[in-house]
Amino acid sequence: MSRAGIRRTYGAISGAVLVFIVLPLVVIVWVSFFANRILAFPASGYTLDWYARALDTDAFRDGFVTSVETALFATAASLTLGVPASLGLVRGRFPGRDAVQALLLAPMVVPGIVGGAALFIAFIEVEALLDIQVAGTLGGLLVAHTLIALPWTIRLVSASLASADRAIEEAAASLGADPLTVLRRVTLPAIRPAIVAAALFSFVISFIDLEKSIFLVGPGRTTLQIALVNYLEWNLDGTVAAVAAVQILIVGTALLVSDRYARLAQAF
Amino acid sequence: MATLARSEVLALDRAARARPRIPSGVGGVLPGTLLVVLALLGPLALMLRYSFNRFVPGELMVEGLTLANYAKFLHDSFYRDVLLTTLWVAALSTLICLVLGFPVAYALVRQVGPRWKSKLLILIILPLLMGNAVRTAAWMVILGDKGLLAALLSGMGLTPPRLMYTPSAVVIGLVSVTLPFMIVTLQSVLERIDPVLEEAAESLGAGHLTILRRVVLPLALPGLLAGTMLCFILSMNAYATPVLIGGPQFHMMAPEVYQQVAKAMNWPFGAALAFVLMTVTLVLTTTANVLVQRRYRRWSE
Repeated sequence: MSRAGIRRTYGAISGAVLVFIVLPLVVIVWVSFFANRILAFPASGYTLDWYARALDTDAFRDGFVTSVETALFATAASLTLGVPASLGLVRGRFPGRDAVQALLLAPMVVPGIVGGAALFIAFIEVEALLDIQVAGTLGGLLVAHTLIALPWTIRLVSASLASADRAIEEAAASLGADPLTVLRRVTLPAIRPAIVAAALFSFVISFIDLEKSIFLVGPGRTTLQIALVNYLEWNLDGTVAAVAAVQILIVGTALLVSDRYARLAQAF
Repeated sequence: MATLARSEVLALDRAARARPRIPSGVGGVLPGTLLVVLALLGPLALMLRYSFNRFVPGELMVEGLTLANYAKFLHDSFYRDVLLTTLWVAALSTLICLVLGFPVAYALVRQVGPRWKSKLLILIILPLLMGNAVRTAAWMVILGDKGLLAALLSGMGLTPPRLMYTPSAVVIGLVSVTLPFMIVTLQSVLERIDPVLEEAAESLGAGHLTILRRVVLPLALPGLLAGTMLCFILSMNAYATPVLIGGPQFHMMAPEVYQQVAKAMNWPFGAALAFVLMTVTLVLTTTANVLVQRRYRRWSE
């Protein structure tokens, strides 16, 4: 095959694969404007009614609020735990550091369903032991989502710390800055882009989680993803498409902003 | 033992703080580690213990030490079939990801300029983070009986095949979930291969397929392995795709774990299912790893 032929072959395969990856998102946004009562092709007309319907559906509205609350908390908590942990992992010297790092990244490796089932059982054990409710409460959800976001924060922040120049920190220290000042005035500003990216990324990771949350939601307290799946089991209409379109807009914006601070591909 | 006076403690504290060093590594990692131990390792250990308990309907905490739950899994042909379905669906999805993902990653690294490359990478990663619920809903709209694909095919005068609620639809849905992971993993490994090697092979008269087989693939093997394992693990544990696209008659392991633990409240059996799923995945990926590494060493000699 000629060089140009090889190029064309790669181009054709890549183009088809890109369409395959992006097509679902385009289609779901497109059909959210269809007037059809049940989602079907071709469109019988176009309307914005589904967006109003989505806003009127309690499950979606409440789910959205719960998801945003949970994701905001998970973001704050994963930064509070993750930034010091990254500093400790990258700058600290202590025995068993590799093991601790593996442990901190473990929530990413253990499948969501398995981790969720284990957490659910543990929560009910705690309930029986202490006589307080945990499963199905916001508290339980917050613990799970912090756990989901933590390894991503540590990955992004650690990568940035590892590539930051230590000489500047040493220079600041030799000029008489105490460790806390060095941290506040030199180290943290240097990794600020990574912290911003980690915050946005944590928000998204928590917002879209399905597998862990499915065990931990309770009556009257459901995240948006669970509300979507519950609805999809019985209906396929424009309401779901409208919610999906809004979610694509929010997540897409967060990720595009995040990409300006740290390359998204770095997180994988 | 002598107790320290409060002033002495404060003095020690000040002295410790005055020491010129970056805040202690151990102190930094401690809170996060504690969360992972309490919310992941502890619960996993507890669940492992539960998988050896006896199940009495209506009672949650029945102590016991039995292998009955694992025996039930082995003897019940329904659950054996669920595991087999999970295995072949995951293996097929992974294979398709490998075949489709490699050309894209290779084109990204060798044939696209840096500006376009970062744009295309974002385009590949974005759908990954839109959530399984949204992506699954989209595939339901595309593959459904009155979906986009059926409309396109009948527009061309063809009879659309019934895809929704078939294993093929589940494989399509899974591939769309895991393919971006494969592309990103392969891309980062191919990036590290010196193009000079391929040019040298070409100048010596090797065709493109020969170059791929003899130069690129052996060098990219660690990445191929990492991407394959990632896709396989994700597919083995998929939840939303089999439930919504596979329909009520299609069973994979992750939804069964949910069913047993949260709905049937049979924790011992649900726990056993979860550990069977994890162990099978772990054993298969480790075996593949060892086999390929051994082969790789022979290849590179």
